[in-house]
Amino acid sequence: MKKSLRLLGLSLALVATHSFAEMLEAPVDDGDIDPLAFEFDFHGSFIGGADVKRQTLEITDFTEQNYLGRVLILPRTKVGILRLGAEYEIYDFDLPAGVQVPNRLQSAALIIGLDTKLSDSLLVRVEAKPGYYSGRDFEGQDFNVPFIMGGTYLYSSTLQFVFGIAVDLEAQYPVLPGGGFRWKFAPQWVLNATAPTPRLEYEVNRALTLYAGADIRWKNFRVDNDFVGDPGDPGDLNNAILSYSEIRTGGGVIWKIGEACKLTVEGGYLPYREFDYHRTNVRYESEGGAPYGSISLRASF
Amino acid sequence: MVGRDSVEPLAVNVCKAFTLGIDVPSRKMETHTCRLMPRSAPLFAALLTLPFVAISTARGDAAAELASFSVFPKVDLAQLSKGDAKPVRGGSAGPRYLSVQTVYVAPFPPAELLAKMRGWNPARHPELKVYLHIDSGTNFSALQNAPDNSAVRYLTNATSQRSSDLQLSAAEMKLLPGENFASVWTKILSGRAQSGISSQPPYDNTTPPVRPGEELNGLLGSQEKIRKQFSGLLSGGKSGMYWELLSVDEQGVLTLGTFSSRTGGGGTIQTANTRYYASGGYYAGVTLHQLWPVQVEGRASTLVWRGDMISSASVASLRGIERIAAESTMIKDISRVVSFFRRDTGSVR
Repeated sequence: MKKSLRLLGLSLALVATHSFAEMLEAPVDDGDIDPLAFEFDFHGSFIGGADVKRQTLEITDFTEQNYLGRVLILPRTKVGILRLGAEYEIYDFDLPAGVQVPNRLQSAALIIGLDTKLSDSLLVRVEAKPGYYSGRDFEGQDFNVPFIMGGTYLYSSTLQFVFGIAVDLEAQYPVLPGGGFRWKFAPQWVLNATAPTPRLEYEVNRALTLYAGADIRWKNFRVDNDFVGDPGDPGDLNNAILSYSEIRTGGGVIWKIGEACKLTVEGGYLPYREFDYHRTNVRYESEGGAPYGSISLRASF
Repeated sequence: MVGRDSVEPLAVNVCKAFTLGIDVPSRKMETHTCRLMPRSAPLFAALLTLPFVAISTARGDAAAELASFSVFPKVDLAQLSKGDAKPVRGGSAGPRYLSVQTVYVAPFPPAELLAKMRGWNPARHPELKVYLHIDSGTNFSALQNAPDNSAVRYLTNATSQRSSDLQLSAAEMKLLPGENFASVWTKILSGRAQSGISSQPPYDNTTPPVRPGEELNGLLGSQEKIRKQFSGLLSGGKSGMYWELLSVDEQGVLTLGTFSSRTGGGGTIQTANTRYYASGGYYAGVTLHQLWPVQVEGRASTLVWRGDMISSASVASLRGIERIAAESTMIKDISRVVSFFRRDTGSVR
């Protein structure tokens, strides 16, 4: 076939940065290349003053700082590529004392996962994050093991489907489905309609991509055992499970620095956030949104 | 089918022949030769690795020879002749490289298959997104009638805007945007076609600048067994030039290539399809074929090994899961191409 090799779309932009969207991989044992790879992620964001409200109780004009650091080692084995590493994330809220929302939520977890493939079309990921999901202090009872299971169906180099579930026994809904699709529908356009980070991307050139979309975040923490909030209403929130969620909508720029690094700068508006003590029916919802800005750096070696 | 039993006596015979200064057919036979050679003959051992030993005769064990340089340790010809082609990851020792290897059986002899390969045109299949395929390294007039679609419009715009995504030398960049799309690319492609593979100007828009000739050397050098197997062909052989306008990841790409073939002893044939220039999408690529005459159920057939190797900047940034996804996608693409070829040429029983 003298001609041909209409080569590969290479689906090179299986770029999503969150759980469901990353579910790919293959077991190959002729590990003559990349027997070991590393990934480093750093993310920082600042959200401007905003309010949340529960019935007549209101917390006004507080800001948020969110940071995440992650390191992963990716050894290639006969059964697939292992994902071994650690992750630390912190949400700091600039809150007055005595309110029913803690001013810090943080998690420190190991990452234990496996990417493998069932066929050339179907790649799967299983990943658990055992660790502490806490308030200000890490305590033994904060230990939890959320995990995900999912897959990517490679229909073609320009169209892939992603599906999976996220399991967290501390959540109000312990099993949540997720997924979507990634479709390169024009030379420079990609519709990455994959939860939790659906995006429309425009590739300006090899090194620069613009995007607009959303980032849906959701995580469960156990607040401290000396966290009282407002003890009179509705009661003791010490050690309670708090589901924190937020939706960010905005746009950003991804700058590819060499072959190993990507720098992302994003800005936009946070229209919704929620602090939900779902086991005690105490829930604070956003009362108006707030602007935000973030910066991320990912390096792969 | 060439039986495994035929290998041992042949190997011994070849060893004897070699001591008389006669060529040695295959790597399988090298093993036996080395074992039987006197210690005082280190020069002979060195000579065994010379390129000319690579092409095997049909008298050898095709399956064993296949196993000696490919990722297919064992093949069942009868099963292969009834089934689909089997593309798998080929292994690649370079951050920018991907490779896929495929094996199948075609129900006619190698010479007939080679003729079909020469005559096959992927542009007949819109799914493959090869818009133009022209067997020439001098006639680029078809560029004046390039199809109007989003991929080609992307390339046209990139040309008029002097996009840094185009893989061109600094001197070629100065030619842009030129009088029009066809004229400027005719100049660029003509110049590169005349330069030949080893003297291709670098892609100065990449950091650092990439030389396609070096990429091809790197691709083949990263797979030593394959390089040895095909070294005779790659250092010579009859070749013809061609160019294509195609889509890579939905973006229009102009590419230059050569197709060469070489007939070995016993009716074996090797071919090399070398893509030594691409305006984008990938740096360089090569597709190799080895064809062995075999008998399957009493019918003259061909055991076909195909190796596809590509070098791409996009691959270099992929790690772990993403890299394997790219490999899987390449496997699917190659599988599709082979399926169309086999269907068009009656290669499927």
